[in-house]
Amino acid sequence: MTTSARALSGPPRLGVWKGLLLWLPIALISALTPLQVLQSGEVGLFGLAALIAWAVFNTFFALIFITGKTHRFRAVLFILVAVALPLEFVPYMIETYGSMMLTEATMLSSGASFCPLTMPMILIPALFKRVVIFPGELLPSAAHGAFSVMFIVWVGSSLALGRGWCSWGCFYGGWDELFSRIRVRKRPLLRRIDRRWIYLPFAVLLAIVLLSALTYGPVYCEWLCPFKIVTEFQAPSSALAIFQIATFVSLFIGLVVVLPLLSRRRVQCGLFCPFGAMQSLLNKINIFEVRIDTEKCSKCQRCLRSCPTFSLDESSLESGKPLLTCTKCAACIDACPQGAIAYHIKGTRIGVRPNVARGLYLYPAMILMSFIGAGIFTSGLYRVLKLVATGSMI
Amino acid sequence: MNKLKSFLGYAAAILSPLIVLVSFMGLDYLAEPFMTATGLEVSANFTGGEVVQTVDHGTYQAAIHRPVFDALIGERKTGFVQIDWAPLDALPALVEEEVDIDGDGQADMGLQVDVAGEETALTAYAPWVLEMEGTYRLPESLAVRVTLRNPNR
Repeated sequence: MTTSARALSGPPRLGVWKGLLLWLPIALISALTPLQVLQSGEVGLFGLAALIAWAVFNTFFALIFITGKTHRFRAVLFILVAVALPLEFVPYMIETYGSMMLTEATMLSSGASFCPLTMPMILIPALFKRVVIFPGELLPSAAHGAFSVMFIVWVGSSLALGRGWCSWGCFYGGWDELFSRIRVRKRPLLRRIDRRWIYLPFAVLLAIVLLSALTYGPVYCEWLCPFKIVTEFQAPSSALAIFQIATFVSLFIGLVVVLPLLSRRRVQCGLFCPFGAMQSLLNKINIFEVRIDTEKCSKCQRCLRSCPTFSLDESSLESGKPLLTCTKCAACIDACPQGAIAYHIKGTRIGVRPNVARGLYLYPAMILMSFIGAGIFTSGLYRVLKLVATGSMI
Repeated sequence: MNKLKSFLGYAAAILSPLIVLVSFMGLDYLAEPFMTATGLEVSANFTGGEVVQTVDHGTYQAAIHRPVFDALIGERKTGFVQIDWAPLDALPALVEEEVDIDGDGQADMGLQVDVAGEETALTAYAPWVLEMEGTYRLPESLAVRVTLRNPNR
């Protein structure tokens, strides 16, 4: 890339003062969490963690506004959230149940934690039988992730961001992002992946929805979810349970570690996650999208190479639209030397006021990230501070 | 028409941050009405189903749940029945229970539960009582699940 092309790269910069002015509302809204913590009298380590989390997240939010680069700074926060999750969740599991393993007795007493990934499996039995086929709590309590909380947050974020959830709200995707950004070679070993694989998540979604309805159990959680390795999993009390554990460990190593390292793409997010597939379908009801101004586009294909979720191909450059699986992560927007790719509001003209569309998209995205991500980061950081101060995370 | 679409687009975009804010800040107010309105419950496969019979043993009680054969369409060929004994600290070393599952006045199975060892010996009287599924120490009770064949299938 030449120096002049680099200078053109991405959307126009807003400048420090304009950027800070746009960041200010986010800074104030995200300050609600640390204020709430401090107001509750929690001025110890947890209060300190909440303040640090606010500062870290808002530094990156401000940089996003000031520099015009979205993906570069979003990805850092996204990774921090994913890494903080087990730091918070595993000590919670050990405190509550003695280990990361869920025994049958724990499940019989509805002790598992809901996460958004359970939603597709739950929908059919919930609609037709008024039954939630997951051994978790329905109303918020001391336990993590109650169903009602996850459902409301999922509906709200789907309306506001559609599949943007997968790059701004998801607390697992950062693991995929992390391994996809580690450079073990100059060029990725896996450069060509057949585009038809992008339909696999939809097949997985259909299979788990039907199988969960038929078996009356959360099939994806029981068998396939690779992120049980960083949260909770069933105790190896039978040969079947051992096989289930081997399956999800293999999936984590394959889809979240090895393939992202080799391809520099978010393979789990782009080629397997059924929740992502559902968000792709729900994206139709969301007002934001990423569009390519075909008149400005020089067909350099830098965006195709930078897309971490296999959501751009040659046809996208002709049609001006990314594929259904776009997570609105902004990697292509940051990478485009012509500034031809931008966030867009459906119903408005392409290429008109791209900074307005960007600002309007970033607000809900950052609010989502500051409530979910900064919350998890605060709890994870609190455990680390506790370890430093007391020698134990528990 | 284009202006209207554009106006509606921007209006929806401006509403988006509010939707996210409401869905987080309103959680305390929305969660309970949402659950009440939907009438959703955790599947009986996990909770054990409704308690249909309680047996008082003086210092402790046995709660016999309904047989669970729940499925999306119709009923399963096999299911289970759950029996809970509580409170935990009042249970004798060996709990013995004759259980009438179908409510016909005759015991369908006998259970002998070793409380400390969390092991149960099952004696099936009815042909549709199949085998022990497990003995579980729950936060407030000791529970046993026994596999049943669905007599209606």
